[in-house]
This record gives sequence, structure tokens and C-alpha cells, in this order.
Amino acid sequence: MVGRLTVLCFAGTYALALLSDLARFVVRSSVRWYVTVGLTALGWIVHTVYLAQLARVGGELPVTTIFESLLLLAWILAAIDLYLVVRSPRTAAVGVFLLPVVLTLVTVAGLWAPRTNSAGSGTVGPTYFWGMVHGIFLLLGAVSTFVAFVAGLMYLAQSHRLKHKRPSRLGFSLPSLENSERWNRGAITLAFPLLSIGLAIGMGLILAHARRGGRELPWTDPKVLFTGVLWLFFALLLHARYRPEMRGRSVMILTILATAFLAFTWVGVDMLFPTVHGAPKATIERPSPPAGRLP
Amino acid sequence: VKLLAVGVDHRSAPTAIREALAFEGPRRREGLDALKSAFPGHEFVVLSTCNRVEVYVASDSSARVPEVADLATWLAAFHTIEATILAGHLVAHHDEAVVGHLFRVAASLESLVLGEGQILGQVRDAYHLAQAQGAVGPILHPLFQNALRVGKKVREETGMDRGKLSVASVAVDVARDVFDTFRDKAVLVIGAGKMGDLTLQHLSELRPGQILITNRNPERARAAADKWKGRAVPFERLDDALIEADLVVSTTAADEPIVSYQRYASVQKKRRNRLALILDIAVPRDFDPNVGDLDQVLLYNVDDLRAQVERNLAGRRKGIDPAQAIVERETVACLADLRHQHHAGALLRQLGDYADAVRVREQEALYARLGHLSEADREAIAHTLRRLQNQFLHHPRTALRTAATSPAPIGQAHPLLSAVRHLFGLGDEPTSRTGKDHR
Repeated sequence: MVGRLTVLCFAGTYALALLSDLARFVVRSSVRWYVTVGLTALGWIVHTVYLAQLARVGGELPVTTIFESLLLLAWILAAIDLYLVVRSPRTAAVGVFLLPVVLTLVTVAGLWAPRTNSAGSGTVGPTYFWGMVHGIFLLLGAVSTFVAFVAGLMYLAQSHRLKHKRPSRLGFSLPSLENSERWNRGAITLAFPLLSIGLAIGMGLILAHARRGGRELPWTDPKVLFTGVLWLFFALLLHARYRPEMRGRSVMILTILATAFLAFTWVGVDMLFPTVHGAPKATIERPSPPAGRLP
Repeated sequence: VKLLAVGVDHRSAPTAIREALAFEGPRRREGLDALKSAFPGHEFVVLSTCNRVEVYVASDSSARVPEVADLATWLAAFHTIEATILAGHLVAHHDEAVVGHLFRVAASLESLVLGEGQILGQVRDAYHLAQAQGAVGPILHPLFQNALRVGKKVREETGMDRGKLSVASVAVDVARDVFDTFRDKAVLVIGAGKMGDLTLQHLSELRPGQILITNRNPERARAAADKWKGRAVPFERLDDALIEADLVVSTTAADEPIVSYQRYASVQKKRRNRLALILDIAVPRDFDPNVGDLDQVLLYNVDDLRAQVERNLAGRRKGIDPAQAIVERETVACLADLRHQHHAGALLRQLGDYADAVRVREQEALYARLGHLSEADREAIAHTLRRLQNQFLHHPRTALRTAATSPAPIGQAHPLLSAVRHLFGLGDEPTSRTGKDHR
């Protein structure tokens, strides 16, 4: 419950920062920029302290549960948002696109918040190490994917405005199409190898577990199956990225779909299907699935 | 405090008069030096732009303050023109009206092109030059700093400087929304007429990597290519040039579209579907309007660009009322501050004079009663009384100095100043003159 309250605390600060950023459409004063940056920074500091506390109590990097990974992903994206907004305050309304993503991730993480403090898995050794590496690579792949997603959204918004010859709104500037496309291409190019390495390590762990006769994650586990489809989806996306006829809008839409599928594989599968992947730590209670959902 | 602004602008004087009165290059510095020599003890700023020449004068001294006629004579003498030429063209603003006028100028509300961005920089340059020449003091310093702040605030809060007001410059803005860098881009101009030349003039500020020019008349294409350090392409090889180009400006006088949908679709395939921006500013249009439906292709015709200009102008006009409200609010606050600082300074002097008078009077009365005192005793008593006076006045003076730097309440005297006046019986506060006239 304490964890959920703390998450609510910085989620609320990010929500206020987003409101302040959205106020750009009506408030022209430069004070609004300072309020937005101040609130984002405040939320990010509380977020950082909370993650540090999780790492200290758990004695490991907070990437071992969905809750921790989502929080860490949101933390990295919030840092990217802060960096971009502070580095070039007038160039583009990045926060309008990035902060909702951060807020959504934190809110979803809140649903998975532990009700008691975790004391860590207590496991050490090569399996533990490679499990962490597996989590880190997948997390970095997810960061790249979400960056590509935000760049794609900005591309589509700018492209729609230019195609329909609409003037840019006062206080709401977007990056050039070329810039958004470059960010999208770079992020996808980076996301694919990161996800591939993460998934390869995951498969290695399944094989190692099976060989030692430990807890086995079957190849038919929904998480494993959906992850395989996800990898194929990203391979297709990377291929499309470099196909001339798939440039621009099509790739951006494909990126958005890929991000949605990644989010589903990461969080949705655990909520909708029975899976033994990433079994929770002994002292962490999995959230009760909302009424009407599959256990 | 006395303030005066005298000058001409695009409304009050024709170009010839404005040119005759302009302070160009080193003449600005010379003008400030000459003003300081002609009217010592005053502060000056000279603002000289294409559409405006103004001399701002401020004075806190009791010495003779220059009148409009004095400045008109000085302007005519400095520029060696007949003073009679200026008759009916000079506009003068007095005292409080100077503040509002300067703020309106800095906010670009007085500019020929509403919301133009250059004027704020020109006001800043004029102020910095006057500062470097030692021509500004305690009155014009805060006044110009406030003007720069108000100019910036108006632009930030109303967006009045936003959006270009010519077809060619709007085209540049669109190009910036599409491409990030231009060093690796090729610009193709189809047609070597005046419009193409004008658009290239604006596009050249983007420093494109390559400029290609094609025209039915190869001679004209070569001439334009030489002028813009580009490459002339034979008109028969238009497709090759279209494949190479990222940004196309089409300005031919052809009666029919020269690039059909099918033709450009084939070009775009060969371009490997790279992002392309086509600015079709020819009338009738050179590109089939359906070309704009192709993915990764943005087609703007002259009507689209003109519509954008109209929207930008309407946007700027929409900013006038909020801008005026900001200027009025800031003028009132600035005047209150100026008046307040002036009153606080005057009150400090008045308080010192009053205390000196009381001390000297009592000291003389004491000396008269104690006639036997030696010169050394008298000096010791005088020293003690001065110290006593300074100690008594130390806290009131410190409080007044602090009050002088804090924002003044608008429309009324600062309570501390009123209290000091009341407690020491120093009388009421002075009033100011305001207005604008044409000479």
C-alpha cells in the first residue's frame, strides 16, 4: 500500500507537469515553462528516490518485476523529457508527447505495486546475473521503442498539419519531419538488437533451467509465444524501416503498433494469460486481476 | 523627472526626411557626443531605424531642460539641413507619454510591419550604444531596460512576431518544418523568372547543399545558376533534376501543368520515396495538385502560401489588443516606479536638508547662549550634533532607500514615504506633466 501511495505521489506530480505543459495552448508566459520543468524535475527526483529505495531494500537493480521495470522505464523516459525540454526549451513540445507516456507507465506500474516491502530474491549465481542482464537489455530495448513511438507520434502530427496546410499553433511547435524520422529510425535500429539480445539471453536461461531440472518455463508459455511474435514484429519493422516504399507515415504507424504489441507482451500477457514467466518474489503479492479479467 | 522624445516615423514624415535625419554607423556615436556637449547634464538615447528616428532626453536637474524647438534646431544643425524642412514632421512626447510611446515602439505596435522582430534589437542597440557613450543615467537606464522587457513579454505572450508576412518567407518556414538541415539537400528551381529569383533569395538563407536551375531557355538558366552559384540543368532532363532534388520551387509561365501525377509518382519511386517539398508558386500551377497526395511528398501552391500569410497577419492583428493591454499595464507600473524612485530620492534630500537646518539652528542658539566656548569646544559640539543627526536619521534613510528600490503601489504614494513626510512635516508630493504634440 505504501508503494502504491508513493507511486501515486510522483504520478500526481507528473500529471500536474503534463497539465502545465498542455497549458501552453492558452498560457503564453515563460513562467509556464519553469512550472512544467519544476514539476517534472520534482516528480523525477521523488521517482529516483523511490527506485533507489527499491534497489536498496531488494539488494538488486529494480528490473526483476513488471512493477519495477515499468517504473524504471518511466524514469528513463522522464529523464529524456527533462533533458530535451531543458536543452532546447523552444524547439518542440516534446513534453506533450512524452509525459503522457511516462504517466501511463507509472499508472500501470501502480496497478502492479507491491503491498509490502520486498527483501529481494536472495538468489545469487550465474542464473541471477544473466536474469538481470536479460531484464536490462529488454528494458533498454523498451526505452528505444518508446522513443521511436514518441518520434512517430510527432511525425504523424507534423505530417498531418503540413499535408492539410494548417498553421502551427502558437506555443506548440513540433520537430521537422526529417528530425522525427531520424529519431524514429535511430531508435528502431537500436531497439531491435537490444530486444534480440535480451530475448536470446532469456532463451538461454530457459535452456539452462531445463538442463538443471529447475523451475521450467515451457516453450508453449503464452509469454514465450507472444515474445517470439514480438521479435518477428520488430524484425518486420526494422525491415520496413529500410524499405523505400515504407518510408514516412507507414513506418510511423507500424512503430505505434509495434509499441502497443510490446506493451501487451510485457504487461497484458501477464494479466490475461496464465504464465510462469517472471514469477513474483516470495514477499511480493501479485495484484488481484480486476473483476471480469482472466486470472 | 523630465522626459522628452522627439523624432520622425513612417507616419509623420516621408522617406526623404527620415533619410536626412538618420544616424548611420559612426554618426550615432557622434550624435550622442554632440547631444551631450550641446545639452550637458541630461541623458540621451538616439534610436535610428529605417522607419524611425527619435531622440530620447531625460533630466533630473534643475538646469534648463531642452525644449522640442531646441532639439529640432540641433537635429537640423547636426544633419546640416534646413530646420524649416522638419516643420510639421517632428512628433514630440512629453514626460509620462514618453514611457508609453517607448514601450509601444519596443513592442512593435508602432512599426510599419506590425509585430516585426527587428525593432526590439534596434532599441537594444540604441540603448547599449548610449550606455557605452555614457549618455544614459538613472532615468533612461531603468526606462530602456523596462522597454526591452516589455517588448520581449509582448512577443512571448501574444505571439505578435510570429509567422512571416511574405509568400517567399512563408515558403522558408514550411521548408524548416519539413527538413532539419539543408547542407545535404538539393534545391531545384524550375523557371528562372523574378519569382524564382525572389524565392531563391529567401531559400539561400537555409544554405542548401546544391542549387539546380532549369528553364526552357538554357541561357537564362545558366545566368541564374551563375548568380546563385548553382548548376544549370537542361529542361529536357527535368526528371533527373526532380529525382535529385529535395526541395522544388516551380515558377514557370506554362499554360498547362508540366508535372503530372503519374510523372511525379514515377520520379518519387526513383527517389526511393525520400521526403520532398514542392513549392509550386506558378500561376497557372506547374504541378498536378494530386501530386500532394503521394506519401512523403508535400505540395504547396501559391494560394496555400498566401493563405498562410493571411493567417499570420490575422494572428498578429489578434495580438494587438492583448499587446496594448500589456503595454498599458507596464506603463502604469513603470511610471509608478519612476515617480516613486524620484520621490524617494527627493525625500531623502529634503529630509537631509530639514535635519541640517534644525541642527544648525539649534547649534547657533547654543553658541549664542554659551559665548565663552573656545573654537575647539564649538567644533566638538558641532561634530557631536552632526553625529547625533546622522545616527537619528540612519534608520529612516536606510528604510527610504529600501523603499525606493521596491515596487511602488500604483496610483498612490508609498506608505513609508507618506509616513516620513507626515512625521517630519515635509509637505506634499510633486506632480508631473504629460502629453504628445506635433511640431
